[in-house]
Amino acid sequence: MFCLPNEVLLSTLRNQFPGRQEQILALSSLVAIRAAPCRNVVLYGLHATGKTAITRAILEKLSSPPTQQNGTQNEHLDDNEDELRYAIIKSAECITARHLLEQTIASVAKATEWEGELSACPNVAHLVVEVGKMINKWTDSDDDRSRRRLVLVFDGIDHQREITPTFLPALGRMGEIISNLTIVYIVTAPRPNFLHLHGVPHIHFPSYTKAELLQIISTITPNPELPSGPEDTKSVWTKFCPAIYDTLNKHSGRDIVSFRSTCLLLWPKFIQPILDGTYYPTPFSRLLVANRTLFQNDSILLPSIIALAPNPTTNTTTTKLPALATQLPFHTRLLLIASYLASFNPPKTDMTHFMKSAIARRRKKGGGTALTRKSAPKHRKISRKLLGAQTFVLDRMLAIFSCLKEDAYVSAYNRKRGMRRTGEREDVSGSADIQTAIATLASLRLLVKMGAANAVDYLDGGCKYRVAVGWDVVRGIGRSVGLEVEDYLAE
Amino acid sequence: MSVHDEIRSHAGFDAWDHQSAYVYEPGTGGEDAPFGQRPSKRRKVTDATEHLFTSESYKSSIGFEPLFGGAESEGCMLLREELYERYWSETELRIQSVLDEANEGTLADVSQFVNDSEVYRSDDKLPSAFIVTGPNISSQSLLFNQLSTKLRSEINGPVITLRSGDATNLKSVLKIIIRTATNQLLDEGGLSNDHNVGCKKIVVAFQDSEAFETNILVDLISLFKSWMDRIPFVLLFGVATSIELFQERLSKSATRSLFGIQVDVEQTSSVIERIFQKAVASSSAVLRLGPDVLSILMERQLDHLQSVQSFVAAIKYAYMSHFYGNALSVLCDNSEPADVTRVLEDRHYEAIRTLPSFKKHIERLVRSHESSRIRALLQDDEVLSEEVKQALRSRQKANLQLLRTIHAFQSASDEAIDCVNLYMTVFEGNLQQSDFVKVLLASLKRMAPAQMLTLLSKITAAIREGNPGMNLDGWSFEDEDFLVNIQDVERKILALSNAADEAELPVRSSETIHNKGLRTTVVAQRVQLSYAESTLTAHEKEFLEQNERVSGLLENYFTTDDPRQSLFSEIWLCNSTATLLEAFAPRPRAAVESALCVPDQFLNLEVTINSYPQRTSLHATAVLYQRYLEAGSLINMADLWSSFLEIMVDEEEEPDERAVLMQFYHALADLKSMGMVKQSKKKADHLAKVSWKGL
Repeated sequence: MFCLPNEVLLSTLRNQFPGRQEQILALSSLVAIRAAPCRNVVLYGLHATGKTAITRAILEKLSSPPTQQNGTQNEHLDDNEDELRYAIIKSAECITARHLLEQTIASVAKATEWEGELSACPNVAHLVVEVGKMINKWTDSDDDRSRRRLVLVFDGIDHQREITPTFLPALGRMGEIISNLTIVYIVTAPRPNFLHLHGVPHIHFPSYTKAELLQIISTITPNPELPSGPEDTKSVWTKFCPAIYDTLNKHSGRDIVSFRSTCLLLWPKFIQPILDGTYYPTPFSRLLVANRTLFQNDSILLPSIIALAPNPTTNTTTTKLPALATQLPFHTRLLLIASYLASFNPPKTDMTHFMKSAIARRRKKGGGTALTRKSAPKHRKISRKLLGAQTFVLDRMLAIFSCLKEDAYVSAYNRKRGMRRTGEREDVSGSADIQTAIATLASLRLLVKMGAANAVDYLDGGCKYRVAVGWDVVRGIGRSVGLEVEDYLAE
Repeated sequence: MSVHDEIRSHAGFDAWDHQSAYVYEPGTGGEDAPFGQRPSKRRKVTDATEHLFTSESYKSSIGFEPLFGGAESEGCMLLREELYERYWSETELRIQSVLDEANEGTLADVSQFVNDSEVYRSDDKLPSAFIVTGPNISSQSLLFNQLSTKLRSEINGPVITLRSGDATNLKSVLKIIIRTATNQLLDEGGLSNDHNVGCKKIVVAFQDSEAFETNILVDLISLFKSWMDRIPFVLLFGVATSIELFQERLSKSATRSLFGIQVDVEQTSSVIERIFQKAVASSSAVLRLGPDVLSILMERQLDHLQSVQSFVAAIKYAYMSHFYGNALSVLCDNSEPADVTRVLEDRHYEAIRTLPSFKKHIERLVRSHESSRIRALLQDDEVLSEEVKQALRSRQKANLQLLRTIHAFQSASDEAIDCVNLYMTVFEGNLQQSDFVKVLLASLKRMAPAQMLTLLSKITAAIREGNPGMNLDGWSFEDEDFLVNIQDVERKILALSNAADEAELPVRSSETIHNKGLRTTVVAQRVQLSYAESTLTAHEKEFLEQNERVSGLLENYFTTDDPRQSLFSEIWLCNSTATLLEAFAPRPRAAVESALCVPDQFLNLEVTINSYPQRTSLHATAVLYQRYLEAGSLINMADLWSSFLEIMVDEEEEPDERAVLMQFYHALADLKSMGMVKQSKKKADHLAKVSWKGL
């Protein structure tokens, strides 16, 4: 006998999740025992569209039907009641596919009150047998098997680590083997036919529209509240949120989570003039104009990992650390510049830039003469700067380093004539200090080692590197050691 | 990496590891080794270093050895050892106190953050502190050890420190986290199941977070986030570069789930300066480090590695080498100065007479024609011993004076002065010609009376109070004259500036008085320039006088002797740089290259009178290395072999090609194991040249 889930239940859910009526109705009919229970249901939609929350809420409601008798349904004596149980498995918490399987068995055992031993579960075949045993035992304990049903929810299964390509199709077939089982897959964007089964119902959770977003956000009470009372707070908040949406979150961060975080972050600053007593909540436009800088600064959209000075007193006492350029030792800075040049100069131009005999030609950048220039190149070459850093071998970088070293010594000597130096610097080529510096740069990930992580040693001559700092950083570092990096850069 | 780690990482290494073929000998060791023991390559390496450092053999092996070619008496040898132990442990304590203090602020900040972490926890944010340590990675392990000890004693929960070396993949990291957490909980008698513990915090610290693989870090963060509703994680990240760079590396979703504060660590340079004050420039330091040694140390800090640990190690090395290698270091004993010469033997006196400073002293005496004194010093040990005693007594005073000068000067000057540089200048004995004094004296000229008064009061305060950092007490009694003079000047300047104020004619600084004012007047549309002589008030005249006097006083006060020239300075001044560089700045690559170029010098081969060495003595690897250097970046194997063969065989003899081929293989294997050649992928039968000479 077909009947839709309880209308009271649906209406409470609808109020709880505005803008999701269709999805709630569809999902609850697809899992409810007396409606149209399916073997597989796929829920899909972008981040923060309420997939997990709604599934959990529906299942919770369906599994504990509104009842007046106290605790009797726990003993499963009431034959009039259908019994739906559920287990949710979060893929984000499972390290491997096997972990996922064992997690599944454990939660199914918990849901079906299985009392036997839990065996290890190496593959899906095993899972089917175990889950089948558990569900059969559970459903057999009732007279009418069809009144009991288990819903298994795989949350974020598309991001599961170390999963085999046959894993999902195998799960999809599970419902054919085990009766009274519904599997719900929550995914972001499913590939077409990823379960290799036809006719699997898909429920789409679209992104919230502006009206829905505002409706949801109006239910939040911001902190701190206005001194004049909750009504004022409510009215300012409901005007404040659309303003934020239109200025900041319309173009990026349109999901509810980032919209909410932006609103909550800016709220205290926005109402500061009211708290100070300079403005009143009533003419909202004046408040808006007074705070217009808040709406112009879109850097707030980037998530920051540092608290924005919760107590400014401590922040003023601690002195800011100087830039990275000045913290690195002299030779390490030179090595970093040399690596940048090795990454961005094509090897064939090294001759022009770094050979002693070519000093006169060095400033010409490329060293071409009028005769060699062709009228029009056949194909347009992309600038190397745009191509990003190329790999280089260690010895080429060291050769560039030893050229730079000479120039840097001269300019350092000129600048710091007053400083104490013991005359000649000791020869650093081939010294352990240089090798330490390279290893340090690599472990700070300012130099990135290419290839497998543990394939060759850091200092192996065959090891290839790529520089990981940008032009601005290198130019700053170059100036701190008295080198203009442009002079050495091709193009 | 600490020394300890380094030794441990080499523990399982031996020359056999890189050999491609072995002779399997099942019989050896089979009798006493129990069945089922792991083969030597897979055995569990026990911590051999513990054993190494505690064993008797190790202790005796670092013991001192008798000097003077073994003729030094055992008493003196033991005395040197004892002196070293005593003075170094004193110094080490002082250094340790600085190191402990240095991280104290950071530790307090972090533990406060961990205690207040609930403030930063919201529904989707993990509370996390970013400890910006600066690029000196070696100090991170000390900091994180201190941190975990402190946090474990303060919060009720486990503290897990992760290093990038442990984190090869996600599973192994999780294993480490779970194992450490459960062990710590079991140790405390708590539950092994950390899910049940409600109020606890679990601190996970990433020591060198930049060195972690980014995807492992991101995976870990997302895992922590999904467990956040059950386990209250608090994350600590050691960031060596900057937070911006670190954040760029993480994915957006990981960034979104972190929120917390930035904690700065005191900079290496300021820690080094404090250590320098406490350990080197302190008045209680027995051994003085000379300017040459210090300049090398500081230069290395600037040029190569900014690391407190290496600075401390270098100071320790200076102490060790001084007491180990200098027989006269027995005289450093300052506990009973009257008695120090009692331990001296004949050989010591001989050694004293060869000291350069003693020779200079004799030359001085020769110039002043004190021949009887010279004879006594050269022949009579008693006289010499008296001289040594006196010199040692006077040097303590002299050194104290130098340190006082440093302190007084530092407090006198306006801008912060690099203490190390000042110390080096003073111990080179040319403070009065240095820029420091010149700048100070020049600034005197620009001073108005009020500024002059603050300067003078700063100097008197410095003399009265001393410097606890350098373990200097006030010395107002000993510099009575100078103080009286200064106070006199102070009084006069005060009086005259008061008088000038009453007369409403403010006293100008001496520079503005001397500058002639340039006056422009426009007469009939022409500009006329004229110099106006400034007129001096009576107060200003007096101020000029006092200014001159202060300038003279200070110049005199900041004139010091060169301690390196003083008699027997070799005993207490460590200024030899030769071994220091060898020990701390080795050049392995350059050494290997030069060994391959001139093997004769290293192998102790007999070089015949002919300039060309015997063919039999040719070292195959060195010969092949020469061929290698002459080749381009791609080396044809056939060419390499034929040129090698040509060199290795005599023209007259029948070439034993097989033997030479074996040598060739051997040499090539050597080059390969040194990482100089590898198989080329570009061309068949070619080798790729990997390392060039001289880089």
